Amino acid sequence: MEIFLSYTVVGIVAGCVYALIATGLVVTYNTTGIFNFAHGAIAMVGAYTYWQFEDAAQGWGINPVISLIIVLFVLAPLFGLIVERVLMRPLQGASVDLTLVVTLGLLLFLVGVAQLAWDPSVTRNLPYFFNGAGFRLGYVQVNYHEIVAVVATVGIALGLRVLFNNTRTGIAMRAVVDNPDLLAMAGGQPTRVRQLSWALSCSLAALAGILLAPIARLDILLLTLLVVDGYGAAIIGRLRSLPLAVGGAMAIGLGQNYLNGYLHSGFLHRIQFTIPMVVLFVMLILLPQDRLKSASFADAISPRVAALKPSLIWGAILIGGTALASLGLSDVNMRTGANGFALALILLSLLLLTGYGGMVSICQVSMAGLGAIAMGHVASGGSLLGVLAAIGLSGAVGAALAFPTLKMRGLYLALATFAFATVMDQAVFTQVFGTGGNLAIGRPRIPGIPTQSDRAWMMVCCVVFTVVAIVVLAVRRSSFGRRLVAVNDSPAACATLGVNVNYTKLVVFTAAAMMCGLAGVLIGGVTHSVDALTFQALLSLVALLLARVGGINTATGVLFGAFVFALFPIFVPHLPHILQNQFLLTGLAAVSVGRDPNGFGGRIAQGAAYLRNAFGMNPKPAFVATGPVAGTAAVFLEEEGNLVRAGN
Amino acid sequence: MSAPATESTERTARQDPHAALEILDVSVKFGGINAVSDVSLSARRGQITGLIGPNGAGKTTTFNVITGLQEPTHGRVFIGDQEVSDLPPYKRSRLGMARTFQRLEVFGSLSVYENVLAAAEFHHSWSDDETPPRLVANEIVERVGLSIVSEERVDALPTGIARLVELGRALATRPDLLLLDEVGSGLNHEETAALGDLMIDLTRDGTAILLVEHDVELVMRVCDRIFVLDFGRLIANGTPEQIQKDPAVQAAYLGADTES
Repeated sequence: MEIFLSYTVVGIVAGCVYALIATGLVVTYNTTGIFNFAHGAIAMVGAYTYWQFEDAAQGWGINPVISLIIVLFVLAPLFGLIVERVLMRPLQGASVDLTLVVTLGLLLFLVGVAQLAWDPSVTRNLPYFFNGAGFRLGYVQVNYHEIVAVVATVGIALGLRVLFNNTRTGIAMRAVVDNPDLLAMAGGQPTRVRQLSWALSCSLAALAGILLAPIARLDILLLTLLVVDGYGAAIIGRLRSLPLAVGGAMAIGLGQNYLNGYLHSGFLHRIQFTIPMVVLFVMLILLPQDRLKSASFADAISPRVAALKPSLIWGAILIGGTALASLGLSDVNMRTGANGFALALILLSLLLLTGYGGMVSICQVSMAGLGAIAMGHVASGGSLLGVLAAIGLSGAVGAALAFPTLKMRGLYLALATFAFATVMDQAVFTQVFGTGGNLAIGRPRIPGIPTQSDRAWMMVCCVVFTVVAIVVLAVRRSSFGRRLVAVNDSPAACATLGVNVNYTKLVVFTAAAMMCGLAGVLIGGVTHSVDALTFQALLSLVALLLARVGGINTATGVLFGAFVFALFPIFVPHLPHILQNQFLLTGLAAVSVGRDPNGFGGRIAQGAAYLRNAFGMNPKPAFVATGPVAGTAAVFLEEEGNLVRAGN
Repeated sequence: MSAPATESTERTARQDPHAALEILDVSVKFGGINAVSDVSLSARRGQITGLIGPNGAGKTTTFNVITGLQEPTHGRVFIGDQEVSDLPPYKRSRLGMARTFQRLEVFGSLSVYENVLAAAEFHHSWSDDETPPRLVANEIVERVGLSIVSEERVDALPTGIARLVELGRALATRPDLLLLDEVGSGLNHEETAALGDLMIDLTRDGTAILLVEHDVELVMRVCDRIFVLDFGRLIANGTPEQIQKDPAVQAAYLGADTES
């Protein structure tokens, strides 16, 4: 009984924190239609800022109550207003895809800022409120921090309920997402309402972070990801319903702690932290998805796909250039280069999956991790058999993951794959590698190639990337590529033309996972050993954003994105201190350049097309109108003026 | 097979067992609204069957039920001899059915030619038709009159032409049953006439066409039979002559002041 009660108390407190997180998410989603992936990072920054004000030794030692008031009622709302003005307001009516890129970019940016501001290698402690003082309630010890958490949550939940149902502002907040124009016509102020909801949401996030940090630990990544756990509760509320979200949060908090309390050992005990993510995943599967209905148009016209001859020529140039460059590189730099090609291979899988197939995935690096595990375990590492095993394992897991997620698109697919990645972190990588441990991975012995030299390994990575890129481009030009693009453009039309849409998606998802498995082998080979951090969930997010920044529809784009990131350690000494953080830069790039889905690669393709036209290398054939209704087409072309090519 | 259909199975047998398409007692509810109520209709081989009615009458919803994109609240769908009520959309299409969409569902990032080619390739992959897809695509693009724009990206085209792309794409699967949802809107008088000829031409090979169309003149010219929907209910069916004289149709759809 005593145990039950004490786990109930802890569970309720955890549930309250999840409820605060979910509430903040629901508020912004309800009023702006944007799911704020960065919510966890905002909570983390809130907790650190509070620590900065409050801590006597390393911080500024300001009275905790005053600090709390400053953070919750001044800084957090202010930050919300800035985020609304700078990032979110331009996103009104934008595609889900774009809102994902921007909010994910903000998440990484904040993680980067926090890492610069508060050196992660220094240990910091955020004490409980009232320094952990408490009292005995029957059998259990309850501290005032926990009381504050419960009282705050209940108060906020009731307050929001009154706000949304009984006040003019609250009703306007609910109206604004449905029809901002109508609200404006009725005398409401959509912008004011959105500002209010972002300010409120950021305050809620900061409060959740401040309550959570003493219970967990003041750690940048840990806090950010713990808060992501609360997303499951928001999904239980279907991102709309506050009562359901709060109820879901309580269920998750209690369930997780009972599991912790009653299973003292065994696999389930070790993976108890994954419960919220598993809940999130299962809820996403159960949630009714959009029917095969609407066609989705890309925001921008994607560049044309390179033909076989140019892709072969450019591939040869890339390999030759890399070989030439390798002559002047140190071993360290060659390992960096090898890493770049391996990362580019992961991004290449996103070109296939997201760029062509329109499926967002935030678990590609985890797939690479599976490949590395297979490589390390088969034939004691270093055998070609291991390479096959790596591709096979990643492919199998990819297919198994694709199966329940086939019906999902956009935000839901992004959340589900990210949930999978964090579960992989805790349930697989830390278990296989051990906390702080690592796994030795050999380079495969290939007859005739001295793979043990770093130069040879970089060339292997380069050739593998190039060959796979040429194959991916060839696939895009093939009938399967047309099918893939067609399924992305209009699943409904494909289904009515006899295409098994789910099967097509399954194939692509599996193929992309296999590419990542191969990349895992390459990554493992670079350093000969990998650990739980090599493939952490956040890196999958980085991969998606890099692909987006580089240009997710071109092979050149993903190579560029990968290399900017991989070569970062070489640039670092030359950068001003403020930019010496990969997360910060990637996030910054994502919220700026990432808005254009064609990215840098698209710019390059545009430039190439311009040059081709300028030199007259791209003559279009003259068309001849035939058939019964050619008239319309002819009229259209004449009206367009510059498009006139037909003779009749 | 399916539990919900059992009730209607017992109630109704097929009325038109040799038709290329028959639906029986189909109803669709969206929330509390009856979009389609107990609609039964059929389309015969070698004929053009019209499905008309004012906006919101349930025509497109009926198409969605037939193709499997919309699950009916109850009712059954037959293609040829086979009941398809429980089949997913792609399996229904493989029985020889293709459609166009009122709200465009083109492959916007592909060219006109690639749209048709993709459909021909889909057909090639699941049928035993050995004709090379490129030959099929060339023929169809010309037949529908899209040669002049064949290299253009479809999302850069006006909707009138995009509708023809959808027609070409549907034809590239060599359908026995073709569902056309306002394929003629956006075309001028001459082009509409040519489209009518094309449809009549298709029925000569035995194709069954179910046509949703607002152009009354076209419907009256080409259709062998017409079904009229109003507020989700079937209010009349018959030959064009019968429909034109039907007082319920005049009241609901053609309007009281229409020439008689």
